[in-house]
Amino acid sequence: MIVLTPSRQLPFPVMAECISPDVFQEKTLEEIGELAVWEGNKQKKLADLFKVEEQNREGENEATITICGDVAEVRRIGASMTIGEIMIEGNVGMHLGEEMKGGKITVHGNAESWAGSMMKGGTIEIYGSAGDYLGAPYRGCGEGMRGGQIVVHGDVGSEAGAYMKKGLLKIKGNAGQFAGLRMHGGTILVEGNCEARAGACMTEGKIVVIGFLESVLPTFTIEGVRNKVKIKETDSIEGPFYIFSGDLAERGNGKLYVSKRKNPHLSVFEKLL
Amino acid sequence: MPHIEAVTCPVCGCLCDDIRLRIEAGKIVEVKNGCAMCESKFLGYCGEHRLSKPLIRKNGELVEVSLNEAVKKAAEILAEANYPLLYGWSSTSCEAIRIGLELAEEVGGVIDNTSTVCHGPSVLSIQDIGIPSCTLGQVRHRADLVIYWGCDPWSAHPRHIERYTSFSDGRFEKSEWKGYLSKTKALIVKKKIEKALKRVFARETPSLSPHVRREPPPTLFKEGRKMIVVDVRRTRSAETADYFIQVEPNRDYELLEALRLLVRDEELEVEEVAGVPVAYLEEVADLMIRCNFGALFFGLGLTMSRGKMRNIDAALSLIRDLNTRTKFTIMPMRGHFNVSGSDTVFTWQTGYPYAVDFSLCYPRYNPGETSAVDVLLRGETDASLIVASDPVSNFPRKAAEHLVKNPLIVIDPHVNATAQMGDVVIPSALVGVEVEGTAYRMDHVPLPLKKVVEPPEGLISDEEILRKILSEVRKIKAGKMEES
Amino acid sequence: MSNGVVFDPLNGIDGEKVDIAVKDGKIVKSVSEHRAKKIDVAGMIVMPGGVDIHSHIAGSEVNTGRLLRPEDHFKDSECKTSVTRSGVGYSIPSTFTTGYRYARMGYTTVMNPSMPPLEAKHTHEELNDIPLIDKATYPLLGDWWFVLEYLSQGNIEELARHVAWMINSTKGYAIKIVNPGGLESWGFGHNVTSLDDQIPHFCITPREIILGLCRVNKLLNLPHSVHLHTNNLGKPGNYKTALETMKYVEELANDEKPAVHITHCQFSAFTGDDWRTLGSGAEEIAKYLNGHSHVTIDMGQVIFTDTTTMTADGPFQFGLYELTGNKWVNHDVETETSAGIVPFRYRKKSFAHATQWSIGLELALLVKDSWKIYMTTDHPNGGPFTAYPKIIAWLISKKARKATLKKINPKARSRSLLPSIDRELSFYELAIMTRAGQAKALGLKHKGHLGVGADADIAVYNVNPHKTDPSKEYKKVRKAFKRAAYTIKGGKVVVKNGEVLKHVEGATMWLDVKISEPFKVTADMKRRFREYWTVEYENYPVTDRYLEISQPIPVKAEV
Ligand code: SF4
Ligand SMILES: [Zn+2]
Repeated sequence: MIVLTPSRQLPFPVMAECISPDVFQEKTLEEIGELAVWEGNKQKKLADLFKVEEQNREGENEATITICGDVAEVRRIGASMTIGEIMIEGNVGMHLGEEMKGGKITVHGNAESWAGSMMKGGTIEIYGSAGDYLGAPYRGCGEGMRGGQIVVHGDVGSEAGAYMKKGLLKIKGNAGQFAGLRMHGGTILVEGNCEARAGACMTEGKIVVIGFLESVLPTFTIEGVRNKVKIKETDSIEGPFYIFSGDLAERGNGKLYVSKRKNPHLSVFEKLL
Repeated sequence: MPHIEAVTCPVCGCLCDDIRLRIEAGKIVEVKNGCAMCESKFLGYCGEHRLSKPLIRKNGELVEVSLNEAVKKAAEILAEANYPLLYGWSSTSCEAIRIGLELAEEVGGVIDNTSTVCHGPSVLSIQDIGIPSCTLGQVRHRADLVIYWGCDPWSAHPRHIERYTSFSDGRFEKSEWKGYLSKTKALIVKKKIEKALKRVFARETPSLSPHVRREPPPTLFKEGRKMIVVDVRRTRSAETADYFIQVEPNRDYELLEALRLLVRDEELEVEEVAGVPVAYLEEVADLMIRCNFGALFFGLGLTMSRGKMRNIDAALSLIRDLNTRTKFTIMPMRGHFNVSGSDTVFTWQTGYPYAVDFSLCYPRYNPGETSAVDVLLRGETDASLIVASDPVSNFPRKAAEHLVKNPLIVIDPHVNATAQMGDVVIPSALVGVEVEGTAYRMDHVPLPLKKVVEPPEGLISDEEILRKILSEVRKIKAGKMEES
Repeated sequence: MSNGVVFDPLNGIDGEKVDIAVKDGKIVKSVSEHRAKKIDVAGMIVMPGGVDIHSHIAGSEVNTGRLLRPEDHFKDSECKTSVTRSGVGYSIPSTFTTGYRYARMGYTTVMNPSMPPLEAKHTHEELNDIPLIDKATYPLLGDWWFVLEYLSQGNIEELARHVAWMINSTKGYAIKIVNPGGLESWGFGHNVTSLDDQIPHFCITPREIILGLCRVNKLLNLPHSVHLHTNNLGKPGNYKTALETMKYVEELANDEKPAVHITHCQFSAFTGDDWRTLGSGAEEIAKYLNGHSHVTIDMGQVIFTDTTTMTADGPFQFGLYELTGNKWVNHDVETETSAGIVPFRYRKKSFAHATQWSIGLELALLVKDSWKIYMTTDHPNGGPFTAYPKIIAWLISKKARKATLKKINPKARSRSLLPSIDRELSFYELAIMTRAGQAKALGLKHKGHLGVGADADIAVYNVNPHKTDPSKEYKKVRKAFKRAAYTIKGGKVVVKNGEVLKHVEGATMWLDVKISEPFKVTADMKRRFREYWTVEYENYPVTDRYLEISQPIPVKAEV
């Protein structure tokens, strides 16, 4: 296991896509320390910013990287990774695990925006909160998450799971506006409350809100009430849930499940059934 | 006493280029054709807020220095910075912006223009949806339905309606000015005549009257140009409109999405959206479908209300959808006279319209990450250069605080709050009045800015100042290379 | 420059060892042997610098395309170096990058084919920022109200005078027509579907616009012919429209100069009734071209990649949006023209796309005389210009074509004419299609050849034609044409082994059309100006300060 500890404060943005098990693999500590990163507009070596050490404990996966300390300004950690594990003891910067294809990232802290952006596989688990655009694509790009799983124990910002095609987003806290914007597949579960415009312009996929949902877009239509909803093959959650389908503005057929108990303001829709 | 014809007004995004100026003894003494904003610019540009000498902060005080000293100091600050911000640009010429981009690249900084705090979200939506648009003349000649959404042209773009939309005369559509006049007259009769007359001719905002009905009036379905205003409050423009739709604050997104459904002849299940009865919306949708050429203009009321860029998503999608049924265009009402030009030059040199980060030696773009307010809020910058803008007074407080905490260079013709907080302040000649240049109208039509009077002694253009700083930065860097 | 194997078709040099002397940016007879800087290019191909007759590299439409597609750029960036500026690709590169990428392939002259006159200043500002190549740009005139009005009055001479004024005012190089009549109709969301449709409100047909402007072109003695994007572009069955157009201007045939250039002809060479029955009209078009000499064309080759389509053909672009559901930009320009942009991916497995790919190559191979057809992708419509080396490989090698054929949609493969075509172009023919022919069609006297007096724009490719069998070793050739061994621009070595060594600015060429009596701006003209446009007459023309390096080419008109 490689342990990285920031050797000083990092006030400028640091681009460190090299912090990835794929890159560290089969490199010596010296080689790892030599890897190029950018701090602001200066090119640096990883060892300039981090103390690089090796710690081997029994039974531990070799391809593991642990970051001890606050790296909220360090971006693109684990970008495109395919194997191994990254553990971050602290807050982490933007684009965590961007386009990752496999492996696991765990954050014991908060993650900035674009965590798991355009993810294709693997798992990200964030014990704190995540910023905006969780799993969402780069500007102008219509391809969001296409696989894998993100679990956030805290809250998330707006547009979580935008343009999602496949995969699972589990949010244990609250979600901001436009969760599942333009999603066309996959599942988003919000266990806390959810701001308005969930599922805007979605065409396929599933959003489940267990807490309070501020409002349902006028372009969704109520389909019924159901007692249970499946999250994964094996997982299902007890309701009852209102089921809405939409977004009709995009001729969509996505499903929005909203807890009936927590959302008495939606009971007006029952008369349409 | 010479007249200068066809002068371009360097104030708002309308970029009216028919201004006629009379010059006497090297001073502008008369402005014809312009609106009040234009007049005050051309007549008042030389006021007391004008800076005349470069300043550097020494021991906490701004003291006058030579231009060379100021330029040197500015170059040193930028050359040493790890993550400098170069911000402003929307009120200067494209020529200056070109050099600004080169400077940003040279010092590895973040360069951003005022789009970031106005129509930046609109640009992000365009990048997701696209935009069916046109030049303003197209609207003048063809539009029989004009919609202003979340903007008040009467106050922010005073000649927009008269030059480009409802009150302009086109080849296929005629001005509705007369109809408006008679409507106003009828109104006047109802009210106290003298008071109302005074208001109309003095162009003050009249107190709001409740004459616009909630229900679409029958006149909306007659021949000729129609104008609809959608806003959260009844503005002066709303008074002018044939129909005013009052939307509940922060519910524009729902209203737009509902319209998207209605223009496809589909039914809504709810009875009211954003405070507007669906029955009325159906009539509006019908009007949109049946027009020959519709044009929707939107302002910050839409871009900055809850939902931000996604409101624009919905508006762009609505207009795009409408094009399968008729001809419809949409355009943001850009504020600063050259904010479009700024986006344009940024885009051709870097591929991206604003919020461009050169710190990795190539252009990178991700508003939210590389945009001015965000890098300041996260406290990432260690120096700034502000050109023709006043972020200290219009950025969020925390962002402004970080801005002034670090070395701050200001290039501006005027003393504004930012200049007062600056460490190096370089006064410049006023583009479009004292020096020439190019600006892009809100519809991307490029227009020349004229030099009509001589600049005050010793003042040069933003472009020249930036060139000097750039060459000084290169000297410093070359020196460093030699040392190492 | 010595010992190179030179292909210089305009001077009839076909693979001979000729030494080339350069002085003050021009090709000269000889230079002083001991003072000159010598470059030994033994065993390499030497050609005039490449000339591109049709490539969208600058202006409002291109730039809006850039703005529209951050996702196109963000994985294709170029770092700043000590000599070059930074930038991005891919399908719509930023300005500096555009210049560098062309120069890296040995290109030195590029024509920007669509400029809305009202936004001409924008085009020129961007051209100023494209280094290493010389440029020119064509104003869009086919749907300009003045054109429609003078033609419906039958007043050709008056129109010619106005067109001359327009070319001078926009610093343009040729008359560009796009879907004549269709763009004005698009102002209200309509289109025209045949050469004889009436254009609403103007009592005139596309046919009359084409013929009228071809006549104007002759009257003005413009060096290039009318540059035409046909009606019905991109629609199955449109090869008929293309042929009808060509036949219609036959009467203007003149031995020395073609009357019309049909651009990106691939997009106008479809048979069939719909996308399922789409087929190739290349044979018919090639047959016509083989029998006539008043028409030139360029390929508009399709490349299998993700690109950005952009034309002034608003209704066509809208159709493309409806077909794909991709993001869509429309930009109509008052009194003049329109434009549209839609990102597009050409897929090998798509029947239609693969058929289009085949049509482009069929045209290039079936037209016997290489002086009549030029290599383009209609950048970025068929694909980015950086794909030219791929096309070169397909043109010189049947094996290369076979390799791609294997991978395409089976139905398209079975219908493709390519397996039946054995022709493989020689380097000499290639030099015609990529520089000499293009320069000739454009009437650029100083470009596209290496004769004494020509601009010293030279491309050197590191492949030995005497030792390489292009048919078999097409990959080697492709690699060589991707990264020129040397690109020499105006006598300066700007690229070596595919690396940019120097950032020098290129010139903007434009026609200074001289009519018999100077154009008078009458009160009537001013009045019409006020009515038609939303800018003042005084602010319309592109003044000299908008061209950083201005290269006017005087033309004496017959009116
Ligand atoms: S509308 Fe704008 S551009 Fe026109 S005169 Fe007024 S301030 Fe100037
Ligand atoms: Zn083209």
